[in-house]
Amino acid sequence: MEKIYLAILLAPLFASIVAGLFGKWVGRAGAHTVTILGVAVSFALSVYVFNHHVLQGQPAFDGAVYTWLETDGLTLEIGFLVDQLTVLMMLVVTFVSLMVHVYTIGYMHDDDGYQRFFSYISLFTFSMLLLVMSNNFLQLFVGWELVGLVSYLLIGFWYKRPTAIFANMKAFLVNRVGDFGFILGIAGVYYFTDSLRYSDAFAAAPAIADVYFHLFSTNTTENALTIICVGLFIGAMGKSAQVPLHVWLPDSMEGPTPISALIHAATMVTAGIFMVARMSPMFEYSETTLTFILVIGATTALFMGFLGLVNNDIKRVVAYSTLSQLGYMTVALGASAYAAGVFHLMTHAFFKALLFLAAGSVIIAMHHEQDMRRMGGLRKYLPITYWTCLIGALALIGFPGFSGFFSKDGLIEAVAESTIPGAGYALFAVMAGVFVTALYTFRMVFMTFHGKERMDEHTREHLHESPWVVTLPLVLLAIPSIFIGWFTIGPVLFGDYFRDVIFVLPQHDVLAKLGEQWHGPAAFVLHGVQAPVFWLAAAGVATAWFLYLKRPDIPDAIQARTRGLNRLLENKYYFDWFNENYLAAGARAFGRIFWKGGDRMLIDGALVDGSARVVGWLAGVIRHVQSGYLYHYAFAMIIGLAALLAYLLVRT
Amino acid sequence: MLITILFYTFAAVLVGAALGVVLSRNTVHSALFLVLAFFTSAALWLLLEAEFLGIVLVLVYVGAVMVLFLFVVMMLDINVAQLREGLTRYAPLGALVALMVIVQIVYVTWVRRLGLTADMAFPSAEPLRGTQGSNTEALGALLYDDYVLPFQLAAVVLLVAIVAAIVLTMRSRPGLKQQDVAKQVAVRKEDRVRLVKLPAEKGP
Amino acid sequence: MNTTPVAGAADFALVAPEIFLLCAACAILLIDLWLPQRLRQVTYLLSLVALVVSAVLVAGLPGERMTAFGGTWISDPVAKLLKLVTCGTVAAVFLYSRDYLLARGLFRGEYFVLGLFATLGIFVMVSSGSLLTMYMGIELLALSQYALVAFDRDSPVAAESAMKYFVLGAIASGALLYGISIIYGVTGTFDLDELAAGLDGSAATNVGLLFGLAFLMAGIAFKFGAVPFHMWVPDVYHGAPTSVTLFLGAAPKLAYFALALRVLAEGLGSAVQAWQDMLIVLAVLSLVVGNLVAVAQTNLKRMLAYSTISNVGFILLGILAGTPDGYRAALFYVVTYVIMAVGSFAMIVALSRRGFEADRIDDFRGLAQKSPWFAWMMLFLMVSTAGVPPFVGFFAKLYVLQAIVDVGFVWLAGVAVLFSVVGAFYYLRIVKVMFFDEPAPGLAVSASGSFRFLLSVNALAVLALGLFSGALLDAINRALP
Repeated sequence: MEKIYLAILLAPLFASIVAGLFGKWVGRAGAHTVTILGVAVSFALSVYVFNHHVLQGQPAFDGAVYTWLETDGLTLEIGFLVDQLTVLMMLVVTFVSLMVHVYTIGYMHDDDGYQRFFSYISLFTFSMLLLVMSNNFLQLFVGWELVGLVSYLLIGFWYKRPTAIFANMKAFLVNRVGDFGFILGIAGVYYFTDSLRYSDAFAAAPAIADVYFHLFSTNTTENALTIICVGLFIGAMGKSAQVPLHVWLPDSMEGPTPISALIHAATMVTAGIFMVARMSPMFEYSETTLTFILVIGATTALFMGFLGLVNNDIKRVVAYSTLSQLGYMTVALGASAYAAGVFHLMTHAFFKALLFLAAGSVIIAMHHEQDMRRMGGLRKYLPITYWTCLIGALALIGFPGFSGFFSKDGLIEAVAESTIPGAGYALFAVMAGVFVTALYTFRMVFMTFHGKERMDEHTREHLHESPWVVTLPLVLLAIPSIFIGWFTIGPVLFGDYFRDVIFVLPQHDVLAKLGEQWHGPAAFVLHGVQAPVFWLAAAGVATAWFLYLKRPDIPDAIQARTRGLNRLLENKYYFDWFNENYLAAGARAFGRIFWKGGDRMLIDGALVDGSARVVGWLAGVIRHVQSGYLYHYAFAMIIGLAALLAYLLVRT
Repeated sequence: MLITILFYTFAAVLVGAALGVVLSRNTVHSALFLVLAFFTSAALWLLLEAEFLGIVLVLVYVGAVMVLFLFVVMMLDINVAQLREGLTRYAPLGALVALMVIVQIVYVTWVRRLGLTADMAFPSAEPLRGTQGSNTEALGALLYDDYVLPFQLAAVVLLVAIVAAIVLTMRSRPGLKQQDVAKQVAVRKEDRVRLVKLPAEKGP
Repeated sequence: MNTTPVAGAADFALVAPEIFLLCAACAILLIDLWLPQRLRQVTYLLSLVALVVSAVLVAGLPGERMTAFGGTWISDPVAKLLKLVTCGTVAAVFLYSRDYLLARGLFRGEYFVLGLFATLGIFVMVSSGSLLTMYMGIELLALSQYALVAFDRDSPVAAESAMKYFVLGAIASGALLYGISIIYGVTGTFDLDELAAGLDGSAATNVGLLFGLAFLMAGIAFKFGAVPFHMWVPDVYHGAPTSVTLFLGAAPKLAYFALALRVLAEGLGSAVQAWQDMLIVLAVLSLVVGNLVAVAQTNLKRMLAYSTISNVGFILLGILAGTPDGYRAALFYVVTYVIMAVGSFAMIVALSRRGFEADRIDDFRGLAQKSPWFAWMMLFLMVSTAGVPPFVGFFAKLYVLQAIVDVGFVWLAGVAVLFSVVGAFYYLRIVKVMFFDEPAPGLAVSASGSFRFLLSVNALAVLALGLFSGALLDAINRALP
């Protein structure tokens, strides 16, 4: 089995190397063939592993395959932990990645960086698999950083665009903030357990939960586990774009449109969610952290949804909806319903990928026009895109029977059952979020596909459905977007799929409580139709219909009336403004102070230049001895010999 | 008693000769002092009943190496005064360091007697005696028996020295003018002599 | 008298690689004599074949420690490992040298024959079981090297440096021999095993032994090029043709390591207290002087020469730890250093062409624009030598530091780290020059396909060995258990 795991991991890496380093030789067709093959191998083997572990019920694998470095007490190794959670993530990652690869053939058709792009996305797949399959914190961190690096490269893929460069810089910096927390968390784990293996850390978690120490002052004591978990979660906040570290995600849409957006929105951002679920045996013992997670997630879920309402860029609307959905997942984690979070992650990966690809298809058809105000009535030009997009939208708002319904409804009910502090606020936020989600989603659908045709003549004449490489992934993604929830909700949420993988304390186990009322997916759907959640969503759709199709004049009127609120939303709650004017400017000011005072005077002046001068002077002196005269050299040797002798004689 | 007297006599001559090698102004004198030094050391060996080594020293070094050396020295006509410039300039420091090393050597070998004590775990080296009392045979047995490998390797070292010497000295420079007897003998009249018919000059 | 023969078939089996190498060198010397200049490639190819066959013979030696010829010869796993690495290194040097020699009219059979003799010298040193055998190996190697340095007879610089090397080498050789004779006088044996068995704790205070040891140490330090016996290193490295510098800088280090290991660690292991102190002085001086002076160099060959001196400091640090861990660390260091040194000098060869040596640092300006691949390869080599993870140079330094910290020399580790930082400066300066300066006019990589391939493998090995240092470490743990 270890060989298979390795093959899954290394196939995309190999493909990436081939496409990246030998791109010129293998050519365009060669590059996409080899990368698609690589990812396809990974996917096929992941299916095999799924069959092995899940269907045949083989025990989970946890072990090292290569020991890299062993020094006193610290063992750095590459190892795999493959269990149900890992297998699920492997399937999602490789499947979505495979779709992206196929889709890229069409989308990047005319781009000069064709091979480079394929190399990046294959490398991304490798990094993500490395992260997911890890059995220790170091490998997790390496994968985590590699994902960040590839995302940096992808956002800045069109490196000649200043906005892209700005965006990738931003993504990189914001993720560094998160990573700082993350590495502190890892350091904490190592400090308390002397090991970087998950198994050791999990085993030690209950003990660490009782450790208190002084961190900030001698008057206050902090719980060690809380510090570790909060640190780790801050890392997750960066990667999974939670408030206030979410600012990079909308900007990341600067990358080659749907693909990097999709990688960021459907796959990479789930790393944080996955990580928290993986670490459930640690987070469970720290209720403070859970509350923290709950509040952050709820805030993200609701307030990022609002932003989707005012944006006119189709990609950004989808991006904000991603933010909001990530908030939902985070809320589920905070409510100890890890399974619900991961379940939503899985369904979301499918329908959000679908929405992004659909948006991309629209953008291709519109000749790289992304403003929804210049679209409308595209339904008849792009039928396949329209129907698949509609399926995605219905799944997103949680229409009963669609995959999104099962995950979101299960998630909301789990939050309703939770008793962790902050659950009340979270419940309100996710309920209100349902309405907002429906509203902005169908605002997008209506503005794009229905109503008046607002594009210019030239574009209209050239409108046609995208090629099959674009529509095939759409259709392939639409199928699981509808059905996957129906089959999987039982085992994943209420069954024993995650038994022994995700650990929940009995007093937190909200899903078990829900499970008592579980009577199969059909009953769940019936129950869902009667629940307020469904009606909130329906109200959202109706409102969207009324505002954007029936009376398109009203939104403008509302905007005119609520100028202040509108400005707040359009400036994205002033997060960017605050970051740039206070954090970035402050950091720059600090930097300048340190640069002038510390670096220029102390380090440069005294240390670097000073020591360089001393080194240079010494070097000059010693070089003088190297005169080139033989007898000088012989002399030096004799003196050296005499000194050695003298020393020995003194010794004895 | 006689042996002791002889030893000190030869030893004194040896040291004097060695100093002469270094200090003599004339290179030929230096070489001759070296010959003297070899002779006296050979005598010392004879006193130690190592006849073979003593004779070999005289035969090889005095007979072959030094003669060759003398030839070279005489042919090269080295300007000693120029070489000595460095010596005089660094003489005080050199003398100091030399003195230091000498003191150290004397201290260790004479005062401390090389730290040799009876309780060292090594068997003290017995003087070599052959079956018929000649140590030539014993030496040969040792060389071809216990030390056969280093002995053979010494031959390889000599081979490399020869190869190296040839590499560095034998050369066919492109512009070099050499005599080729075979070519000279094989030369034909047609190659060298060209008959030119000159038209008779008209008178003025 | 001893009537049973000392040497039998079993003894000769253990020196089979050396016997083959000697015969091959002599045969090639003769064959070369009858070859016209245009068929000189045959000599080159035969030399490579000779190396490959000796490597195969070495690989066939038994895996455990055995002695032959009355203890004057040792065949053990360390010797095996070192000989294999030597074969590989010398073969690489030959490959790298071919184009260089061809372009300068130096492509003569003697280069390869002398190279093979030097290899034989290394083999002998590596397997020496007695001080006498060791001395023969040293001289064999040294004579070949003197001749190689002077190989370009039309170059006065080369002749001058060969002269210096020869005279100083003779002094060192004299010191070494004097030391050996004193030790023989005190103990009555040349045999390293007998020395080890006969010496006890009092050896470290036995004045006669230490007296001999000091002379021996001077010789070892000279061979390594440790300060203050290092003066020949920059001049010889600089003066010799680059293809010879390539040779000097790499494989002999393995032999010198063996010299230190056999004589100090195995033979005089009981006197560890005494030679440890001497080595501390030599190592610290080498680290300080090597790194500091390298900073001031503008000539890359000289810079690498000083870098060698500083790296020797590290090797000595590993040895002076006096523990199996220390020896292993030093062995790891010397093996990886040889790989990096061969690559770095080969880079100079790659950039040089007829009439242009490319041995100034300025000659590397803007290489990244002209030939990004080679600039990256050089970057790998330089960064690894500087000791940046995850390249193998980092692990080499790490293991050495760990070994000396384990025996309590924290201050030494501090000095080593401090001067490694100084060292990083001049390695990174090359990188800076290659990547951020405007290209020098006429800069071009003129190298054949096999050269490029080998150099790429060489540089990538530095990365691969770093990423998978476990494999090398395992081999070394097996060689020096």
